[in-house]
Amino acid sequence: MAINDLPIVGDSFALGYRFQRYWDTPMANAFFFGELGAGLFFVSLLLGSAQGMLAGLLITGLLKTYFHLSHMGVPKRSWRAIMRPDRSWVSRGLLGIVGLMGFGGATVLIAWTGILAPDSLLVLLLKFAAGAAALVVMTYQGLAMSHSTAIAFWNTGLMPVASLAYAMTGGVMLLLAAVPESAQSLLPVALLLHLCIAAILLSMLHAARHGSPGARKSAELLTRTTYAKWFLVLVCGAGVLLPVLLLWLAGSVPTVALTAAAGTLAGYYTFRLLVFKAGVYEPIMSFRP
Amino acid sequence: MARYGMVFDLKRCIGCNACVVACKQENALPEGVFFTRTLSEEYGVYPAVNRVYIPTLCNHCEDAPCEKVCPSGATYTRPDGIVMVNPETCIGCGSCAVACPYDQRSEMKAESFKDGLFGTGELTPFEQQGYPRYTPGMVTKCDFCSGRVDAGLDPACVVTCPTEARIFGDLDDPESKPSQLIRERNGRPPLPEKNTRPKVYYID
Repeated sequence: MAINDLPIVGDSFALGYRFQRYWDTPMANAFFFGELGAGLFFVSLLLGSAQGMLAGLLITGLLKTYFHLSHMGVPKRSWRAIMRPDRSWVSRGLLGIVGLMGFGGATVLIAWTGILAPDSLLVLLLKFAAGAAALVVMTYQGLAMSHSTAIAFWNTGLMPVASLAYAMTGGVMLLLAAVPESAQSLLPVALLLHLCIAAILLSMLHAARHGSPGARKSAELLTRTTYAKWFLVLVCGAGVLLPVLLLWLAGSVPTVALTAAAGTLAGYYTFRLLVFKAGVYEPIMSFRP
Repeated sequence: MARYGMVFDLKRCIGCNACVVACKQENALPEGVFFTRTLSEEYGVYPAVNRVYIPTLCNHCEDAPCEKVCPSGATYTRPDGIVMVNPETCIGCGSCAVACPYDQRSEMKAESFKDGLFGTGELTPFEQQGYPRYTPGMVTKCDFCSGRVDAGLDPACVVTCPTEARIFGDLDDPESKPSQLIRERNGRPPLPEKNTRPKVYYID
């Protein structure tokens, strides 16, 4: 039997592909809310919306933290995750979150209270630092996944690009739905970002189908077997095709923009969940005994 | 300083799983947690069908991906090459688990430590003496029975194997049994394409 023909064996004592089961729904929730909040903050920072920035900080600071802690085996020691920024993307990401909360919080506070002139050097530096921290939070999760050679499907440079694209798209769509007046400036960006996501998804699947056996198995799970209906209907259909059509046809109508945003977020969340669920370890023997 | 490793002789393994039981006993592992497994695979077409047993455990990689990604520094390598997990600093994030290509990490679910082997909420004397070495919620793995190795003994799975299919020793010593077997019978590490440089080899 060739390695490609081996089955998925679950937790049994048989040789075959095994699902990764350590990062599951709570982690997918944490990734989703972390990226979404950071994306919303970043887009709001560029557009100068203090309410959007605050909402982004709350989403990342509260929801991401909550779901991360619910995932942790020993939550009371979670602060220790900051100990190895020299080698771990989780540590670097945690530093990014701390930076985002600190610099972002200060930026929002200054914008609201007006204690400093908006064009003062300190405010500009704070905005730059907050934006940089938001970029770290938007990408580090994809980088952490792409560094795993164990799960071949994740082991691609497209993973952090997907994180960044989805985070930005989520932020743009939330603003578009909440602030209809912004449609003029955000509609072309939203359309472009959705097309980027479509290209990234196609590239990821193409790379996986022509990659190592584990990546091929994951691509098969996503497009042909166990998770195909979820992936095709929610990630591709509701998450990309529907928003593109709606935004293209009548994106400036508030209810349409809201529907498009709901579709994008449903697709984005399903993507985050399915990438974890379809991750498989390759059989331990790649040679014939 | 020695550099410990192990060789699995696939011609000798009979799939009795005595190693698995010995490991669970030595390490007081809760239900559902295994530091070593004996996988089986059937191959061929009738009437030429065969079954092979493939023992697995942590490969104590020279370039351990689990150690690289550990955000708290809980995973570390001893000077003798044994990759360890510090139960005092592990946060149970699972980064090591998704980084290990061999799926050799185990989550010590907090419920296991409360419910006990029989699910009654009371721990047996065996569990009471064994569980304090772990922190509930941590993610851990085989440590080649480091306590036994420090005392000059072989790991529990090795001494239990009735067919001597598991051979443990110093890979830096060219005269050690594992070194000889790797050299003479073309020992191959699992998933060499992952570039982790395992210290566990298979011979057949």
